[in-house]
Amino acid sequence: CSFSFFSSWLPQTVPFRGSHWQTSLLAFRASLPMRAQPKKKKKVDVKREQAQKDRMKKKIKKLEKAAPEMIPIEDFITPLKYSDNNRQVLRSLPPLSFEETERRVLLLKKWCLFKQKQDEAEKKAIQTLVEAQQEALKELRLESEELYQAAIRRDEGLFPFERDEPNYTPPLPGYDPPEGKCIDITKVYTQ
Amino acid sequence: TAAAPRPWRLFGAMCLLRLPRITQPLEKVEEEMAALMGQIELEKSHYSDHEIRKLEEEEQLRRRKENIDDDDDEVRGKTVIMAQDLEDKWEQKLLQFKAAPRVTDADKNNNRTSLNRKLDRNLMLLVKQKLGNQELWLLPQVEWQPGETLRSTAERAMATFLGDHIQAKILGNAPYGIYKYKFPRAIRTEDNMGAKVFFFKAFLQSSDLSQAELKEDYLWVTKDELGDYLKSEYLKKVNRFLLD
Repeated sequence: CSFSFFSSWLPQTVPFRGSHWQTSLLAFRASLPMRAQPKKKKKVDVKREQAQKDRMKKKIKKLEKAAPEMIPIEDFITPLKYSDNNRQVLRSLPPLSFEETERRVLLLKKWCLFKQKQDEAEKKAIQTLVEAQQEALKELRLESEELYQAAIRRDEGLFPFERDEPNYTPPLPGYDPPEGKCIDITKVYTQ
Repeated sequence: TAAAPRPWRLFGAMCLLRLPRITQPLEKVEEEMAALMGQIELEKSHYSDHEIRKLEEEEQLRRRKENIDDDDDEVRGKTVIMAQDLEDKWEQKLLQFKAAPRVTDADKNNNRTSLNRKLDRNLMLLVKQKLGNQELWLLPQVEWQPGETLRSTAERAMATFLGDHIQAKILGNAPYGIYKYKFPRAIRTEDNMGAKVFFFKAFLQSSDLSQAELKEDYLWVTKDELGDYLKSEYLKKVNRFLLD
């Protein structure tokens, strides 16, 4: 029967059209040329759309198969304005005089000595600290073994140890620091 | 428990330190070195964005002053903020701010009971205690009782003199120093020859002790001033575990 012929012709995506044909049996011949043209367009359209979709999918697959692009680390890329040819050195300062260089060298030597003495004093202080503690522990051991064992146990609550650093001036009581505005301009990259 | 009872009495003492709040003043060598380092850094540096802007604007100003006939019409409409103006504004703002003084009132009065004195040094607590028949300035100590560790003895000592609400970070379970002394012959017996005082160190965390001070005489002193109050033998042992 020609019904089934037409209905098998149609692509499976439009099943409702098949039932549409079967209802109007008498008007079949008349409607055939009218329906044929738009049907062709739709089919070609549908085929064209399908082809387009496939092409897109292939492109997407190709892109995905390619290695993911590395996210640039902004810290490692020197901006162009700091590169060699753009440099503007502070050359307006006069060259150093002989006295100045002498003074600098002597100051550096004094500093070296100062730091050495400071370091030695620190090391000595730490040494006395350790010795005093050892002595205390020795005496404690003589006293009672149990207290000694309690003393040499590790103190879990000691670390992490936090403390406020010393500043140049003590905190001002009742000071309200002015609020600042912070605009975040970090670039976010997606892979 | 099977060992023979030792003839020494045990005490736990707490050395409570208030850490410095401000930096110590620099020595002459340090200041000179800091100045030198700044100068070398300046010599080796490039111009910053702000400085470039300032230089360009100075150039513009100079050029404008020279050709004042040509540019008069264009310039008048603009109200450009110059870098120099910004700098002046910042300078003004800085002058308006007044920081707290490094040398406090307590320093000037030499009020040794206040915690606000000598903000660049460590301060430690001394209390007046009665031992035997003598009133002595000591680091707070109490006698050890069986069943507690020496660290808890020291904590109890701190709590006895300063109340329970002290926030202090005790540095570890082990004692830092020991002071051993024999009792005077009058009260010395076979079982009671003398005492051993074990010192523990702690850092004071809370700066507000208004509701904490109970007992009578207490002092906050630096390491140098300890000599005014402590006896020489005791002082020698205490000095060993105090850094400055």
